[in-house]
Amino acid sequence: MTAPSTTVIALRPAPRAGRGGLPGLILTGGVLAAALLLAVLGPVLAPDALEQDILLGVTPPGTPGHPWGTDELGRDVLQLLIAGSGSALAGPVVIALGSMLLGVLLGTITGYVQGWLDFTIGRITDLLLALPVVVVAIVVAGVFGSGYWVTVAMLVVLFAPSDIRLVRSAVIEQSARPYIESARMLRLSPWRIMFRHIVPNVTPIIVTNALVNFAIAIVALSSLSFLGVGVSPGSADWGRQLDDGRALLLSNPAASIAPAIAIVVVACAANLLGDVIAARAERKGSAE
Amino acid sequence: MNDTSIVLEARALSVRGPRGVIVEPVDVRVHAGQTLAVVGESGSGKSLTARALTGLLDPALEATGVVRWGEREFDLSSNVPWPSLRGSAISLLLQDPFTSLSPVHRCGVQIADTVRAVAKRTGRRLSSREVQSIVTDRLREVGLDASVAGRYPHELSGGMRQRVAIAAAIAGDPDVLIADEPTTALDASTQGEVLEVLAALQRERGLGIVLISHDLGVVRGCADDIVVLYAGAVAERGPARVVLDAPVHPYTARLLAAEPPLDHRLERLEGIPGSVPSPGQRPEGCAFAPRCALATELCRTDVPQLSAVSRGGVVACHHSSTPLVSEERDRAGTARTVSFDDALLQVRGLRAHHGATEILHGVDLAVGPGEIVGVVGESGSGKTTLARCVAGLHVPSDGELTLGGVALPRRLGDRDPRDVQMVFQDPYSALNPRLTVGEALREALAVSGRPASDAAALLESVGLPSKYVGRRPRDLSGGERQRVAIARALAPRPRLLICDESVSALDVSVQAQILALLLRLRDELGTPVLFITHDLAVVRQVCDRVVVLRQGAVVETGPVEQVFDEPQHPYSASLLAASEPSLELKGSRA
Amino acid sequence: MSSAPRRALLAGWASSFWGMLTLRLLGVVAIVLVLSVLIFGMMHLIPGDLVRNLLGLRPANPETIAAIREQYRLDDPFWVQYATWFGNALQGDFGTSIRYQVPVADAIAQRIPLTATLAVLAMIIAAVTAIPLGVVAARFHQRPVDRAVTGVSVLGLSAPAFVVSLLLLYVFAYYLPIFPVYGGGSGDPLSQLYYLVLPSTALAVGLGAILMRLTRAAMIEALASDYITFARSRGLSETRVLLLALRNSAIPIVTAAGLVFTYVIGGTILVEAAFALPGLGLMLQDAVLFKDIALVQALVLVVAVVIALLTVAVDLTYAVLDPRVRSRRRAS
Repeated sequence: MTAPSTTVIALRPAPRAGRGGLPGLILTGGVLAAALLLAVLGPVLAPDALEQDILLGVTPPGTPGHPWGTDELGRDVLQLLIAGSGSALAGPVVIALGSMLLGVLLGTITGYVQGWLDFTIGRITDLLLALPVVVVAIVVAGVFGSGYWVTVAMLVVLFAPSDIRLVRSAVIEQSARPYIESARMLRLSPWRIMFRHIVPNVTPIIVTNALVNFAIAIVALSSLSFLGVGVSPGSADWGRQLDDGRALLLSNPAASIAPAIAIVVVACAANLLGDVIAARAERKGSAE
Repeated sequence: MNDTSIVLEARALSVRGPRGVIVEPVDVRVHAGQTLAVVGESGSGKSLTARALTGLLDPALEATGVVRWGEREFDLSSNVPWPSLRGSAISLLLQDPFTSLSPVHRCGVQIADTVRAVAKRTGRRLSSREVQSIVTDRLREVGLDASVAGRYPHELSGGMRQRVAIAAAIAGDPDVLIADEPTTALDASTQGEVLEVLAALQRERGLGIVLISHDLGVVRGCADDIVVLYAGAVAERGPARVVLDAPVHPYTARLLAAEPPLDHRLERLEGIPGSVPSPGQRPEGCAFAPRCALATELCRTDVPQLSAVSRGGVVACHHSSTPLVSEERDRAGTARTVSFDDALLQVRGLRAHHGATEILHGVDLAVGPGEIVGVVGESGSGKTTLARCVAGLHVPSDGELTLGGVALPRRLGDRDPRDVQMVFQDPYSALNPRLTVGEALREALAVSGRPASDAAALLESVGLPSKYVGRRPRDLSGGERQRVAIARALAPRPRLLICDESVSALDVSVQAQILALLLRLRDELGTPVLFITHDLAVVRQVCDRVVVLRQGAVVETGPVEQVFDEPQHPYSASLLAASEPSLELKGSRA
Repeated sequence: MSSAPRRALLAGWASSFWGMLTLRLLGVVAIVLVLSVLIFGMMHLIPGDLVRNLLGLRPANPETIAAIREQYRLDDPFWVQYATWFGNALQGDFGTSIRYQVPVADAIAQRIPLTATLAVLAMIIAAVTAIPLGVVAARFHQRPVDRAVTGVSVLGLSAPAFVVSLLLLYVFAYYLPIFPVYGGGSGDPLSQLYYLVLPSTALAVGLGAILMRLTRAAMIEALASDYITFARSRGLSETRVLLLALRNSAIPIVTAAGLVFTYVIGGTILVEAAFALPGLGLMLQDAVLFKDIALVQALVLVVAVVIALLTVAVDLTYAVLDPRVRSRRRAS
């Protein structure tokens, strides 16, 4: 950790290289924004998604009035998809944000203060990290019932430990730096040091991680609803839609492929956005 | 010297990056059995030159020029067959022995790798027994026992690791070895050993060495020729004796003048004002002009070319063509002798642990009012732990700390920020990157109830213009950042200031500025300073008394003049001897 | 000995390698114990009358109720019940499955081979494809190959295992009927393997994406380090250089391996559900559905123990790979 070598300074891209990565930023950000918009406007755009038409039954894509066909209960696939975006995305947003908040709060405190609090929370974190999400979800659903928000709450608890660990190690690394030791010697209040000095300097990692968590949460939540956990029967949900549509692979493949693609696309966009932001942060400020 | 003895020659070697030229066209020539020293501070591009000669530049950088390795000559912009050159014609030795060897492979394996790689290129087939015996030979050449081959790098000391690295570098019998700051990461006593090893290899093998260094002391004893680089261009080049004893370029002269001598204290230690421009910010004309006392309009517009001067050197300067000798070096200063009854800081029987290991075994120390006391020792001596205990950052296991007669709380949480403050070693992590200079200073001022408006005056007291209040750390140079760190430490008007290797990470020319600043502040404010360092020459210039620490215990203490001129303890004597700038490895050369 | 030297001695042992390993082992055992208490206690949290649940389909009259109460020691304090259960579990007796009417241990043992083969096969496929890809991506960092491989890995990360399963089902079972669609195949091992190709590939996709990223990140960092520059400057071949970097990268990759294991377990369950494979995953789902408490408890405990053992195995591997760990004393 001495002066940045001449090589490092020389390699800083010439000014106006901000173009790099910007198209990626716009594309992925756009997709995510569109998905979120869809989720919010779902009830307005597809109010009758759940309406069944048993007499109609399964129809293939291209049927008049049903561009993507219907499932065996006569529900329009496209409408169902739009309606399901709410449950597919609302939960992951809460999970990513909740986990991030817990991570920042507990990770910063345990990383900075250490001591017995760190030890206790560390052991609890170890315990939670050792639990496979799916197994816990199944069992908890069996015990407490499988409501949507119960499942979301459980995922927040299960995702938080990795956030806490990440923030904690970033905080520990910053705490060893002279500017933090100087702040300690100046007897600035611990809260000020933690949240005015340390956290702003670890924000890039936190934001990238939240995006990745969002992507993982989408995958996890839809996987759970595929298994029947975390969603009330009959409600609009991508994972549920996929499971229901499995039997219709020959008659209307769109019934399961549409939600499958939707899941993959949104998760992809979130992952890529996280990558792009990480790459930009690295290029901009790492040589400090 | 006839041409056939040239083992490496580069003409118009230049390195470019996305922001423009980093190293201006440079000529380099190395003869067999001779050492060429490339001297420069940060931003001079000396390491890049080394990398360019071995083809190991970062892919985004581009080198041009023509280079001749022995009999083979290539243009750098064409496809140079690097694999056939590396290891057998030329090899590179890196600075940090702690990272240049793979941590998960045994030493013998790493040396054997070179042997096998070079043998394969020349088409020789070697049995593993032959390889093993070559490895043992190489280890012996660098003064290590054959058993080292079975050890891992982390089991060896820094000096031994560097020797293993040297063995690995020369295992392919190269004609030229580029040593990039080979001793910078080592203790003074080990530095000598490693330089001896290099000198011995040079004698026995006729090895040409390119020694890259910022440390003129290291260069003084080893170099036959010297090239001085400033901001990517050659300032001066010539035989070592000529350049060192009769420098012609103003930069060389000022650089030599800024080097703190070990044998006497200067009345005034002069740095070079300003700092080295980074690659994208070099001025038109002579790069050194903004900092040069001889600069005129011509210097600001025209780049000076290299022209020959007497006694075999070349210089790039519009104005100077005869040696510039500094008279400052002869004017001796005196250290302050403070006699005091009540020391301000009293340390008694201090013991400290890291986990289960005891680092300090009962250290006694005193700092009187207005004194600057130096604490010297090698790595592992515990000097940093001592500083941290006094600062409150490390809780001692035993002992007494009193400031002004009142006990200092062991834990930082119980301390008053107006008692002790500290300036750390690394200026690049000393400031919060997200705060402006003004915000950082105001925060520090608020701690002792001083008004925020004092920030501007605080900056000026450390030699920075008050408009720096709005700057962010990334816009400041290392020296400027360290000044801000000092200002922040002095904001609460502490009764004691600790400097933990605060100048060790700075260029020599900047180091001198900061030392001068510390002396001035001591005179103006009367704040006593506890100065931790490994560099004895710095101690001579700045400290009044010195404490010599060895493996957690004080071996000698007393006024600087006394301890340095007549050391009582053999360890102090050996430390001083190892710090002597001229290890005469070369004898006298014409 | 007075307290300070004794404390120092203990601290010394605790920071040595063997000390740290033992502490870690103890920690893992403690975690499993705590989990087992939770698992056991869960039984009492299930909504509905416990006795009725335990009875299952049998009639609820005073005799059967008394028999149940006796069998499960429901009149004893919690800790006695727990101790009995745990004691039995250590001997391999997990009770009897309400649904299958066989000893739980037998029911589980019968299905282990399928699930284990699936998981191991998936890990092998993933490792064999992902690690070399990661090395290549790192070697050609930021060039087209790297971008392509990284892009594909994002897809692998974003597609849940069940989506991949469905895609594979659709392509290979309907369009190109190469592989069987459902079920675990008939008795013999080779046929079983055949049936597992699609499922383990589905699982390997997500797993491979994670492994590839880990490998790539670790290799990029290794290739940028001083010892690689030094190796190149001595004339070592590019192959040898990559091997050096890979050997050093093994450490961070293994360290992150824990992340991989939890993914495998969750993914196995999903894939079994998608392909209707009669493995432990489906058994767990059914057991929860039918409130087959003893079976659920045993399954979760087995999972916990497996993860714990794998964690310890990772630690040991780490010690084998990194000689510094063996002689390191942890700085306080």
